[in-house]
Amino acid sequence: MDLISDQGLRLDGRRPNELRKIRCKLGVFNQPDGSAYLEQGNTKVLAAVYGPHEIRGSRTKALHDQALINCQYSMATFSTGERKRRPRGDRKSIEMSIHLRQALQAVIKTELYARSQIDIFVEVLQADGGNYCTCVNAATLALIDAGIPITEYMVACTASLANGETPLVDISHLEETSGGPNLTVAAMPMSGQIVLLEMSQRFHLDHLDKVMKHALRGCQEIKAVLDKAVRDHVASAGAACNWEFKTD
Amino acid sequence: MPPTIRLASERVELRKVQDDNPPKIYTPGEVVHQGTDYLRGHGTYLDEDCVKSSVAGICQKINKWLIVRPIKKRYNGEVGDVVVGRISDLQMKRWRVDTNARLDSILLLSSVNLPTGELRRRSAEDEATMRKYLQEGDLICAEVQQVFNDHSLSLYTRSLKYGKLGQGTLVKVFPSLVKRQKTHFHDFPWGTSAILGNNGYIFIYPTSQRSGKEGDGYKEDAEETITLEERENIARVRNCIVALAHYKQMLYDTSIAVAFEESKKYEITQLLTPEVMAKIASVAQQSLLQHSRNH
Amino acid sequence: MLTTKTFLKKTKRGNILKIVREHYLREDIWCGSALCDKCPMSEPVLSENPESASELFSFPHYIVLDTCVVVHQIDVLEEKTLCNVIIPQTVIEEVKHQSSTIYKRLKDIIGNPGRNFYVFVNEHHMKTYIERQRGETANDRNDRAIRKTVAWYQSHLASSQSGINKSERVQILLLTNDGKNKELAAKEGLCVASVREYIQSLVGCPGLQDKLAVTEPERDGNAREYLFPPHLPPSLIHDGIKSGKLLQGTFYASRENFLEGHVNVEGQEKMILLQGHAGLNRAVDGDSVAIELLPEDQWSSPSDIVLQDEEDDPGDILDDRTEALSASRAASSERIPTGRVVGIIRRKWRQYCGILQPSPVKDTVRHIFVPAERKIPKIRIETRQSEVLASQRIIVAIDSWPRHSRYPSGHFVRALGPIGDKDTENEVLLLEHDVPHSQFSEAVNACLPKLPWIITDDDVAERQDLRHIDVCSVDPPGCTDIDDALHCRFLDNGHVEVGVHIADVSHFIRPGTALDKEAALRATTVYLVDKRIDMVPELLSSNLCSLRGNEERFAFSCVWEMTREARIVATRFHKSIIRSRAALTYEQAQLRIDDPAQKDAIATSLRELNRLAKILKRRRIENGALVLASPEIRFQVDSETHDPIEVEAKKLRETNSMVEEFMLLANISVAEKIVEEFPECAMLRRHPEPPVANFEPLVKAGHKLGFNIVTSTGKELAASLDEAVLPDNPYFNTMLRILATRCMMQAVYFTSGMLQPDEFFHYGLACPIYTHFTSPIRRYADIIVHRLLAVCIGADSTYSDLLDKRKSHALCHNLNYRNRMAQYAGRASVALHTHLFFRGKVQDEEGYVLFVRKNALQILIPKYGLEGTLYVVPKKGEVATANFVYNEEEQTQKCGDVTFRSFDPVTVQLSLDRSNLQHEKLVLKLVKPVIPGFSVPSSDEPIPMAIDEQDGGKCKDGSVVDTVSQKNKSSPSKKKRKK
Repeated sequence: MDLISDQGLRLDGRRPNELRKIRCKLGVFNQPDGSAYLEQGNTKVLAAVYGPHEIRGSRTKALHDQALINCQYSMATFSTGERKRRPRGDRKSIEMSIHLRQALQAVIKTELYARSQIDIFVEVLQADGGNYCTCVNAATLALIDAGIPITEYMVACTASLANGETPLVDISHLEETSGGPNLTVAAMPMSGQIVLLEMSQRFHLDHLDKVMKHALRGCQEIKAVLDKAVRDHVASAGAACNWEFKTD
Repeated sequence: MPPTIRLASERVELRKVQDDNPPKIYTPGEVVHQGTDYLRGHGTYLDEDCVKSSVAGICQKINKWLIVRPIKKRYNGEVGDVVVGRISDLQMKRWRVDTNARLDSILLLSSVNLPTGELRRRSAEDEATMRKYLQEGDLICAEVQQVFNDHSLSLYTRSLKYGKLGQGTLVKVFPSLVKRQKTHFHDFPWGTSAILGNNGYIFIYPTSQRSGKEGDGYKEDAEETITLEERENIARVRNCIVALAHYKQMLYDTSIAVAFEESKKYEITQLLTPEVMAKIASVAQQSLLQHSRNH
Repeated sequence: MLTTKTFLKKTKRGNILKIVREHYLREDIWCGSALCDKCPMSEPVLSENPESASELFSFPHYIVLDTCVVVHQIDVLEEKTLCNVIIPQTVIEEVKHQSSTIYKRLKDIIGNPGRNFYVFVNEHHMKTYIERQRGETANDRNDRAIRKTVAWYQSHLASSQSGINKSERVQILLLTNDGKNKELAAKEGLCVASVREYIQSLVGCPGLQDKLAVTEPERDGNAREYLFPPHLPPSLIHDGIKSGKLLQGTFYASRENFLEGHVNVEGQEKMILLQGHAGLNRAVDGDSVAIELLPEDQWSSPSDIVLQDEEDDPGDILDDRTEALSASRAASSERIPTGRVVGIIRRKWRQYCGILQPSPVKDTVRHIFVPAERKIPKIRIETRQSEVLASQRIIVAIDSWPRHSRYPSGHFVRALGPIGDKDTENEVLLLEHDVPHSQFSEAVNACLPKLPWIITDDDVAERQDLRHIDVCSVDPPGCTDIDDALHCRFLDNGHVEVGVHIADVSHFIRPGTALDKEAALRATTVYLVDKRIDMVPELLSSNLCSLRGNEERFAFSCVWEMTREARIVATRFHKSIIRSRAALTYEQAQLRIDDPAQKDAIATSLRELNRLAKILKRRRIENGALVLASPEIRFQVDSETHDPIEVEAKKLRETNSMVEEFMLLANISVAEKIVEEFPECAMLRRHPEPPVANFEPLVKAGHKLGFNIVTSTGKELAASLDEAVLPDNPYFNTMLRILATRCMMQAVYFTSGMLQPDEFFHYGLACPIYTHFTSPIRRYADIIVHRLLAVCIGADSTYSDLLDKRKSHALCHNLNYRNRMAQYAGRASVALHTHLFFRGKVQDEEGYVLFVRKNALQILIPKYGLEGTLYVVPKKGEVATANFVYNEEEQTQKCGDVTFRSFDPVTVQLSLDRSNLQHEKLVLKLVKPVIPGFSVPSSDEPIPMAIDEQDGGKCKDGSVVDTVSQKNKSSPSKKKRKK
């Protein structure tokens, strides 16, 4: 199937370098320390952060100089077209959890919280391509909401190649399964460092460069959107209590 | 009351307060200040030679320190804070208390009053009978004695004010909403008292109980019956606090009192509906704004 | 702005899935008109002053087309009269879904800037997107979307034209044939017309009306009888196939018998037979059909007779010759599964070349068109230009086949030229075989290097300089595209160094360029008798790439060090520069070898090469390689008129074999190397072993004469063929080999990653792995192999398509298809020239009986490599002059005391029957053995010419020339046997 029509539009009407519609909200739950809800197109993800708190379970896992980060990725059974049997614990979810951890560990300032534990739970409510990216972005928002210090935003974005020549940004599930190679990049947009890079198929070396550039540019754009949302949230919450909130 | 179901999009929002001078908000990774003349405080980190924010909040300059304060954070103890906590674990010569901080706090055996009221060295026998004083799951009210290097707290309950808590209601809110005041023990005119723990745990109990608590703090007053009216008041106070917390209003005695007055117009159960919660919060907000303007 | 599209889809397993997709609506889709002052388009497509050629709609207008208009009237659209057309995205997507060929043609029209066709993305435009309403079918919704587009355009352009006079404003006209759509559009106040009205109202284009496709059902007063059973609707077909009641397959019509055909069902070995009008039920050759098996007692066997639909239009009645077929339901042992068509899944209609059958009725518009391809039925068309077209070859497309009509209905597309004219016939040949033969485009020519071409120092640095080596090439006479050269040197250690140097085409044809794409499309050079359709432009094929004598050229060399017993010790590949000392013909090379006086380097190396080649050949035969025969003939063509002067069989000399052996060796060495480096995506060639069933006719024929042909392995086949010799019939062995050749499968290209290693086997050559490397000038596969090999030796870099297994597989598919078509085209060209040669001649020739059929004898004439049919049973309406008795068991025809068996020698008289202009036939008449009343006297005696070239007189024993049974062609610059 043609991923790009002759008029330069993709299957859902976007141009190759346009992101899907992003909607997000911080602080959706009262119980966890930090929570966020993020939608990228039709992919909808809820993230909740608990911590830092005392290490539950065995004390032996405690790291004496940094905090332990514990991630869990789970997909709701209704999130995909066909009902998913196992929401968590299957190989894909465990792999995603590990990747999530890898990405977030790079930004969280764990040295401030020795012997504590930070739990991050991510639940995919509707999966339509780019699940991992939306989870990373939602987790970042939740961390900010919880007030856990991070060096900077951790943003992830996917990119692919259509017809062997045009790079596409932020691919949906249909474009993912149509067979083009997919590149997932988790990066820190301001410093330009890449934390995680995942590729689904073989790419020719000639194309890698431009696809990666597109993905990084997508990360920057997403970060701008997230940043705005964070500012709005802080502004409204702060204004409500007249900036008198205390910490420390 | 039958359960009500609503869509999330029908959330009730507070009217936005007109902010004339909104302070500058910093988000993680943003440069707060170029150059090294300021020292980095909480919520910031040093990257090359600029100070960058690591949380989303507003900036404060205290002496030479740059601090960025986020809206929400886990409780970080200070010496002298009053906290309400729950015993989570018993260990050698001390109890571990969960205080909504990033590490559990420690309550040393030597920091509590013995039931008999004596002042003596704790013996091995006392150790064995630790469980008789405080068990896992007990609620206590204590003060922070010491802060260790890793930011865990050491509590003590040597004063008569502190100790095990009896019948009442515990409300958990974000620690940043509890305003720092001189005293955290409040008695309200309608017969309930509250302990506003700095760590976000608020304990509401009938005033009558307090007066009966003398000498040791360990006697279980489970036998004492609380009247229906007292219970209703406690419930009302609890709902008010929840309403205020939901709309991010600061919690202190005045705000709770105002909210309580407002809430008298409604049934207790109605206080859980979002519209009523919003009304109460907005009324509290108004009066508090005026209050702060006058002062 | 964002909406979502939700719809339910059924998966293969029968689960129902709900699919939710996003659908973005944009505000930056422009209208494309030069008139508009609101849309910031840099290059508007629709012109500012669209002139109107229509009488009905005299105001300037843009046209919007409906889907069915595009699908059915694509030929009208291709005419240049219609300009300034808006195609909504809805329409283009539906067309793509329905027919990919029409879609391609539509895209070509859109791509032509002179036509001003604009695609408007109405599905993503904020104002013109509509959602399906409850109870609305998908078609209705699409129609509504199109109407909405028209309305939007009308209002959008109106605001930009406020200053212009109302009668001169550009309006939008919707063309549709759908009655309901038309009604609703008129109600909404849009300008709408049917295609017929519009075309008829156009001034100045009379021929356009002929091209209108017939889609409306003809409503005649009397209810017509239905001649055919109805086709099932798609949903029932789908259910039937799923439940196993119906079978799906491709329909292949029989060339000899127009009432018969068979279906190839996937997964089943045996073909299902279809007979009779009801059995065929309007299926056309190539269609994908759904069939139902008949109960076993109605099974039949393929008929032995040859039936043609010869007559004038009998009207809409069925052929009554079906009894002839039913007579053949004879021996139950011969019966094979028979079925009937119940539905058509996918039509594979294309454009067909052919001629008009003269209609006996004067002044009529309706005519019958007879396609050149015998497998296609006659087609009814309407045309007003019948006098002009009667003598021309024309192209016609089929529109539909209604139940009441004996023939399908179609419409005229264009005329090619006078019938019988060589150029026209060549054109027909190329079109029928889908051979791209247009001139190379500007873009392609731009990729060629500029003359003068010189070898720079950089080139020398990158390549091995072999200009000092005595290289020479050996090719057929008149060959201009020399792609290989050889050399041979004695080494000090007693070994021999042999080198094969192939023209370095991949240096000039870079991947991804227009030149590369064109070459990939053409896939091979097509050799017709008098013409050569090049795969690459002549500058490369005959000059810069060709290893001409005494010119320095780039080459890709494969150099072996081998012992004097032709055992390879080492192999080297490198890019090089060579200077060929001489470009010899086979004959010249043979003379040099044979002449002991010649002692120069070339002669010595040729002799050594010859000696080594013999050893290699012997070794190959021991391994089981097959030596097959095909009667190769060559036409000597008059240089001015390009008419054939003389036909002769090709002579095979030692030098032919010598070159062939080394080419084979090179191909094998390269194959091994590229598979080692690229196990997933190497392009190789394989020859699958024929299934046992294929060998049946060969075994039967051999058995008749007492020879046991063993077919279990290639080696045994070769051995048994060698033994099957009749001392008194020297041609017998050759004929047996010709039969064997016909049993073989086609050799095909494939990608190594798609098959298991043991399937790489090449049966004919008996080697485990093979590829094509030695002819890059005329085969695209060789260019790909060159590129792969260049990467192996580090002389070039890869590109993504080279390594993509799937793209490689698709490329192989195209290469195989084009190769096949090129072969057929070549054979057809030879047949054409054979006919040209025999025009006006009557000759006696010797021949042999190849097959005995029920009503005819198949005769093979070795001198011309021709196969003809000698009818022994008269055609309909003729009187039998001699009584032939057919004995099926013995496979003989007996008349009196003369018996004809397979392989019997006969003498026949050849002449040309030009009564059927499209199918000139070679007429065979028996001369010897003499049968009174049947055979004719020898043409040595003076006899007046019995054939009148103008008249439509038929003669007795009219025969038919089938496609010639040759594997290779003969033409000016032909190369080795294609393996």
